[in-house]
Amino acid sequence: MAQAAQRLIQRVATQAPQLASAAVTYSRPRLATFWHYAKVELVPPTPAEIPKAIDSMKAMVKSFQSGHLAQLTVKEALRNGLVATEVLMWFYIGEIIGRGSLIGYNV
Amino acid sequence: PIIPRGGGALSRASFPARCGVAEMVPPVQVSPLIKFTRYSALLVGMLYGKTRYDYLKPVAEEERRIESEEKKKREELERIAKELAEASEDSILK
Repeated sequence: MAQAAQRLIQRVATQAPQLASAAVTYSRPRLATFWHYAKVELVPPTPAEIPKAIDSMKAMVKSFQSGHLAQLTVKEALRNGLVATEVLMWFYIGEIIGRGSLIGYNV
Repeated sequence: PIIPRGGGALSRASFPARCGVAEMVPPVQVSPLIKFTRYSALLVGMLYGKTRYDYLKPVAEEERRIESEEKKKREELERIAKELAEASEDSILK
């Protein structure tokens, strides 16, 4: 029993660094890919882009007022719905960060 | 631009080569409106979570305090009832 425990500890001590290095080599190219896309797509807006955002919001409101809704294809509407859902999910992620727990409030 | 993938480690047989694309799609230029709304939704969510947590915390503590007081009272009553029952039962094993 003690010998088996000893052997186990020996095996863990020799193989843990191997596992760690294997995990690093596995994840490095994937992390590089993720960073390659995240650098462009997930970056927060620079202060110069905020007036552009306000302008596009005004243009959107105006187009809704001028009846452009009738010419919206279903495909476009679905795509816009997906984008809006994704933006909504960022609110819930912010709530998770704000309350400090993954599920529910730890009061 | 097509970026060559540094996938030397992926050619090992022990890892499944899931990312089979040889060329990477260039990253999408996200519109500033979407970026702005995303990050403002994140900020609003963080504020909402924090304020709701600060509101719920004292409420829960109050509830716990009341619960523990009522539990003490209930246990006291139960203890009295148990002693009365023991005193009034007829048994020769006293």
